[in-house]
Amino acid sequence: MMIKSPKVRSTTFTYILFLLPSFLLLCIFVFYPIIEAFRLSLFEWNNPSRAPVFIGLENYSNLFADGRFLNSLKVTLIYTVGVTSVSILCGLVIANLLNNKNLPFRNFFRGLFFLPTVTPTVVASMVWIILFNPSYGFVNTILRNIIASPPNWFSDPKWALPTIMLLGIWRRLGFTIVIYLAALQNIPREYYEISKIDGANAMQSFRYVTVPQMIPTTLMLTTLGFIDSFLVFDQVLITTRGGPGSTTEVVSLFLYTDAFTLFKMGKGAAISVVIFLIISVITLIQWRLVGFGSYEDVA
Amino acid sequence: MKKMPNSKILNKVFLILIILPMVFLMVMPYMWMITASLKERGHVSEPPYLIPTTFDFSNYSKAWNGAPFGQYLTNTIFVAIAVVFSRIFFGSLAAYIFAFMDFKGRDLVYFIYLSTMMIPFYAIVIPLYLLINDLNWLNSYQALIFPRMVDAFAIMLLRQAFISIPREYIDAASMDGSSHWHTLWKVVFPMCLPSVITSAVFSFLFIWNDFFWPFLVANESNLRLIQTGLQAFTGRYLTEWTYWMAGTVIASIPPVLIFVFAQKYYISGLSRTGLK
Repeated sequence: MMIKSPKVRSTTFTYILFLLPSFLLLCIFVFYPIIEAFRLSLFEWNNPSRAPVFIGLENYSNLFADGRFLNSLKVTLIYTVGVTSVSILCGLVIANLLNNKNLPFRNFFRGLFFLPTVTPTVVASMVWIILFNPSYGFVNTILRNIIASPPNWFSDPKWALPTIMLLGIWRRLGFTIVIYLAALQNIPREYYEISKIDGANAMQSFRYVTVPQMIPTTLMLTTLGFIDSFLVFDQVLITTRGGPGSTTEVVSLFLYTDAFTLFKMGKGAAISVVIFLIISVITLIQWRLVGFGSYEDVA
Repeated sequence: MKKMPNSKILNKVFLILIILPMVFLMVMPYMWMITASLKERGHVSEPPYLIPTTFDFSNYSKAWNGAPFGQYLTNTIFVAIAVVFSRIFFGSLAAYIFAFMDFKGRDLVYFIYLSTMMIPFYAIVIPLYLLINDLNWLNSYQALIFPRMVDAFAIMLLRQAFISIPREYIDAASMDGSSHWHTLWKVVFPMCLPSVITSAVFSFLFIWNDFFWPFLVANESNLRLIQTGLQAFTGRYLTEWTYWMAGTVIASIPPVLIFVFAQKYYISGLSRTGLK
């Protein structure tokens, strides 16, 4: 015991020295704010020069009676489901094409598909604004050769959200392709050989070998995609600011407007908590489906 | 020389024909953006659209002079270096504990660290903003750097790399009387450079592409980062699309270069956000 004690002390010291900085930073900039968000959501605080007033759960009951908030949830959900499902479907098909050994320049093509994913959202949004400009944009210039009056995209209540979704899909596709490619390369070759021996054609072996093997990856991409898309903000702020009307007002933009332009901090905190709970539920589903191992081999 | 069977060539042509339209859709915005950035002012809506035939670089100098882009770039690179460095430094320290030290509750602490990845930024943004305000850090580099100094994803990447090092190296080092500090930086860290590069690439791209937080806390001209700068620039030059596109090309170059030259590291990191 006497001999051991200096070593024990030095080890404890190491723990503290090594772990304390990151732990303190996380406490100050993550754990404190999340707890504070819960606390603040119980207050009404609409004026920076006055003290917050405790109102219990009133912010929440107001929120769920607020048509604009419910609308923002609906818009976000449409965006999320659309972007996630289309990028998964197209990603699966394209990853299979890119996985085909007969395709020349595979790595080059893969790189091109991935390019939008590393493109900054602000850049992509600006390009989108001009591409889809009703009178001068490239898209309508081309479309006018085919149909008489192409849509006004961002300023059309029907088309504004789909146009932003298209941007989301364009940026998301590279990610799903990369993940699917990695998963495809993990399928044992023998599975395909066996299905060939059994007389399956390419379509059938895709249906009966590839697709079932892709189920875990697809579940994971669904939950990851849901989380990623649900938090969309930059694209909407830059292209439409939620308009026309509130047809593209996603929930993060609603939070931004109420908290940071109208200074309704208590209400904003309640929106934060709702976002947090929704994302937590999805994360828990993710852990149930693919295990925490999808993030790391913790256990 | 063996002749290729016809069916194989057909197969190749067929595959290319399927994939080309999709590649075109993905790349078209880029081709258009570069072409537009080189057109004469006011000629954006005239053909040709996707392949530059005029090379009017004045848009670039106009954009560059129309907003303090030099300042934006300096700010971004300064903040990015600070964030990358501290995420790797503090991340390595924490990862070392999670990889090599045994103590009761270690896995729980690690789990708590990782769980921060699941907290959406919008859930904490209001208290964080108020905190920065209370610290008098609005419109300061501190606001852009401090909340970003630790990243659980970097810790996870580094820990994964650390645990793959054979235990004998660590034991041998401590037998030789090497302190943990020394073992970490002289033995473990140099063996894990690929993961270090991966987390550096992720952190750099994160700062480079970041918009919402800088937009909230540092949206003054001399403190803007590249994306907030670009956004402010478009507000000032509302329909000057050739300038816009010059600006977007400037802001896209570093991420694209990083992707081209560090693709291996980037992809390996990405696959680890999702796969076992």
